[in-house]
Amino acid sequence: MSVEATARSARPPLWRDLRVLRVAGQVVFVAVAVVFFMTLTSNLTDSLRRQGLDISLDFLRTRAGFGISEGISYSANDSFLRAFQVGVVNTLRVAGVGIVLATVLGVVMGVARLSPNWLVRKIAQVYVETIRNTPVLVQIIFWFFGVIFALPPIQEARTLGSVGILSNRIIALAWPRLEEGAGLWAIFVVAGVVAAAVAWSRLTRLGDRTGRDHHRVRWGLGVFTIVTLSGFLISGSPVRFDTPEVVRFQVEGGLQVSAGYAALLTGLVVYTGAFITEIVRGSILAVPKGQREAAEALGLNPFQQLRFVVLPQAMRIALPPITSQYLNLTKNSSLAIAIGFPDLMGVSRTIINQSGKATEMLLIVMATYLSMSLFISLVMNTINRRVALRGEGR
Amino acid sequence: MSEPEARGGALETADDIIVAQDVKKWFGRFQALRGVSTTIRRGEVVVVIGPSGSGKSTLIRCINRLERHDAGMIAVDGIELTDDIRDIHRIRSEIGMVFQSFNLFPHLTVQQNITLAPRNVRGVPKATADEKARELLERVGIPEQAAKYPAQLSGGQQQRVAIARALAMEPKIMLFDEPTSALDPEMIKEVLDVMAELAGTGMTMIVVTHEIGFAKAVADRVLFFDEGSIVEESPPDRFFTEPQNERSQRFLSQIL
Amino acid sequence: MSGRPLLPEEVPLVLEDARPVELAPPRPPATLGEWIRGNLFSSPFNTVLTVVAGVVIALGGYGVLRWIFVSADWQVVKANLRVFMIGRFPLEETWRIWASAYLAVFLAGLSVGVTGIGVRRTAAGAARWLILGGLVVYALIFLLDGLRVWVSIAAGAALLGIGIAVGRAGGRSLRIPLAIGWIASFLLVILLLRGFGGVPPRLWGGFVLNLVVAVVGISLSFPAGVLLALGRRSSLPVIRFFSIGVIEIVRGVPLVTLLIFGQFVLPLLLPSGVRLAPILRALVMITIFAAAYVAEIVRGGLQGIHHGQYEAARALGLPATRMMLLIILPQALRNTIPAMIGQFISLFKDTSLIAVLGLNDLLDVSRNAPRLEFSGDVKEALLAAALLFWIVAYSMSRWSQRLERRLGVGER
Repeated sequence: MSVEATARSARPPLWRDLRVLRVAGQVVFVAVAVVFFMTLTSNLTDSLRRQGLDISLDFLRTRAGFGISEGISYSANDSFLRAFQVGVVNTLRVAGVGIVLATVLGVVMGVARLSPNWLVRKIAQVYVETIRNTPVLVQIIFWFFGVIFALPPIQEARTLGSVGILSNRIIALAWPRLEEGAGLWAIFVVAGVVAAAVAWSRLTRLGDRTGRDHHRVRWGLGVFTIVTLSGFLISGSPVRFDTPEVVRFQVEGGLQVSAGYAALLTGLVVYTGAFITEIVRGSILAVPKGQREAAEALGLNPFQQLRFVVLPQAMRIALPPITSQYLNLTKNSSLAIAIGFPDLMGVSRTIINQSGKATEMLLIVMATYLSMSLFISLVMNTINRRVALRGEGR
Repeated sequence: MSEPEARGGALETADDIIVAQDVKKWFGRFQALRGVSTTIRRGEVVVVIGPSGSGKSTLIRCINRLERHDAGMIAVDGIELTDDIRDIHRIRSEIGMVFQSFNLFPHLTVQQNITLAPRNVRGVPKATADEKARELLERVGIPEQAAKYPAQLSGGQQQRVAIARALAMEPKIMLFDEPTSALDPEMIKEVLDVMAELAGTGMTMIVVTHEIGFAKAVADRVLFFDEGSIVEESPPDRFFTEPQNERSQRFLSQIL
Repeated sequence: MSGRPLLPEEVPLVLEDARPVELAPPRPPATLGEWIRGNLFSSPFNTVLTVVAGVVIALGGYGVLRWIFVSADWQVVKANLRVFMIGRFPLEETWRIWASAYLAVFLAGLSVGVTGIGVRRTAAGAARWLILGGLVVYALIFLLDGLRVWVSIAAGAALLGIGIAVGRAGGRSLRIPLAIGWIASFLLVILLLRGFGGVPPRLWGGFVLNLVVAVVGISLSFPAGVLLALGRRSSLPVIRFFSIGVIEIVRGVPLVTLLIFGQFVLPLLLPSGVRLAPILRALVMITIFAAAYVAEIVRGGLQGIHHGQYEAARALGLPATRMMLLIILPQALRNTIPAMIGQFISLFKDTSLIAVLGLNDLLDVSRNAPRLEFSGDVKEALLAAALLFWIVAYSMSRWSQRLERRLGVGER
């Protein structure tokens, strides 16, 4: 009882009471923040009123009235909203393809960086140190104005045999195109996958039972190849390699990408690839030396040491920093604006210039980028948790 | 130098399983081994002691080729260690090794840690390997931990898993590189008990350790290392009671 | 090996009852032939790699060298060199830039001297610097005409040397004056460029603009980032959520978007009558952008501080602010130095983005150079710009690697 009484009687004056101070601190902070933001908003409304503008999203439904050079179907008569969607899809096209290619490039170069071959190691090192220390925007602009613009115009386009066409406006690659009978063939492909999966699991179980390697990779691939190939012939070879051709100032056929897309993609992939290279190298080196020694002492061969011991652990280390590189690549795709590729940011700037709705449009753009970042983080975190769970087990 | 006393069971087959002659090893300009010669017989338990940096770990790491010796000769079970990868591989699969820092694979369960090498190096069927792993975990006293990950075990348990992992390859020789140095005192005994049990089965063992009690109870012979050479080599009862060499005396007086 | 190798001189030569030490290993350092075999032809696969890589290097190297020395026309760089460096900065005011550069060079020399991190004294290091230095001099001989520029550059080099010497001599005692010097120089440079009837920001341009934006951005974003990081770890929920919101929103959005926000929306947020030059608006946005990233780095450093440090500081009776300033932040910031320098390099590279707003930075100048004064090729101009960026970023990153090794970050 006496303790309680002392505690109560010892209650400090308000200006020394920790609990009061905590609340007071937050109240003051909130007050300052509120005043600050109210000033900003009142300034904003003042300025808008002076310019005769208001905040609303109605403009999205009005006619855009400007053309976009590439992307999903769109005409100048469509709405601003549709124009914005074109930009979003273009951004996703660059970011999605870029993430895949940058990963491939980064893993290859990261392994090269650790190669026992001195020349290979040095090539990878020079690549990393040149590219990482130069601004990505300079690189993108260089690819666009320095490399692709230096290519001949379409009439005199350079052809790479039947593989592709290089010109300063369009770059085209031979690309498989589905024809009649593709449906039938698709059924065979599915059947091939199923057959291969069955063979795989059977052989895995057989392998577990006998302890010998039954070449499940070889058999699985073999079964798949045989089924799909015979299906391909039965359905009458429904895939044709579509080689691009120059027909009267136009490129026809093949997989065509615009100069802007090619430059942006190349710049982003080469730049991000250099960072992924260093991540891959660093994470392989970060696996403790004792792990490799233990695997060696158990008699695992170098390939098995990598496959069962080093790589699974390196992967866990690499995933978080690689995620942030994916985020960077996606955000850097906004540099399209410097070379006129109509991505989300580029189209939005045109919309702003046309409609004058800067505040609304920029908020939409920010929200869009934020949700893209969030989406990538979510996907990568899920993968990360899967990988981590196997290790931590907690 | 006295003849090691062979223990029962190993007597009939007691031939030399490890022969080292004038083994030298440099790290840069530092000479870690300065001509080490010794012979270890089948079924013998040898404890290696000596101050840190004296080359005792280097010797056992040379025996299974985690380090390459620069001069001299090492032969294990009649196979000489050369740069021939086939020989290295054969020798490694006959030698089990236990590390100071356990070096369990953190991304694999205890069970998977144990079955990884038998399945992928020896081609043991999964069921057989799993059964063997259960037996070994039983033997080291932690059968209930099979499904856990290393990070969920105590240090002593981890080291016992590491011993089980090495035994799963059915080695003829076991090397222990300071197996209890990274452990809390209360966990040392559980690991030493497993090792003593293993010695009782006639396993050939080389143990780098500072555990005098273990050496006295289990070892057939003690090698005392200092500055890269074997300074004294004698049975434990003699080594610990009347060390011959002045440096062994000094070392013993420091740690006892 | 259970211990660290002893130094050879600590090893007694003959031991009483052991074998004599052999000082020279039987395998001497690899000869050239052995090295080539080990690194290039150790296995069939390795040999194939060597051949392929060799062909790639030979062809690529030949193409690049031929282009640099034969095909390329560097006149576009030579003709526009001044524009590259200072943009439209008035000619008669260039002394302001030289003075600022001298100040920076001297301080850099001092820093190099004080930290003792400079050129590595090995044959390979010396060779590398000789080659690089030779190339720079070669390029300068081609690019520069006029004795005045040469004298000015020589003066800069001399100042650098003096700085290093003074730094060496002063050693650690100069550390705090040096830090103050850097902070003061920041204000001094702005004053030099702007004050005393100086040059308005809209005329700043070229590489100098990139450097100024980078330096100002770094100096302002650092304290802002530290505050945001502390806010994010604050026990007061309101402040914590505010900090998290700012950090995450800014980090989820591209810098280009923020810059365009600064261009279009920031003026609307200011009270009527207040107008910011485009370059200042860009600076505000760059600072906010960088602060969010700095905050995350600092947060990482703070997380690395052991809980015991807080408890020890509290047990000593230090009030919260002083605990942060004296105990926690110094340790946390020290651990983040490498990451922080990396962030600053990245900020420096990002200054090229102001070209998107049409500001006359190095990138903007170089891509327009062929149109400006000389009908050259944009390729050469862009490469020259890239090289300038690269030199600064690369030397910063090398310096940071060496600093990291010196500090032994993680070992404490």
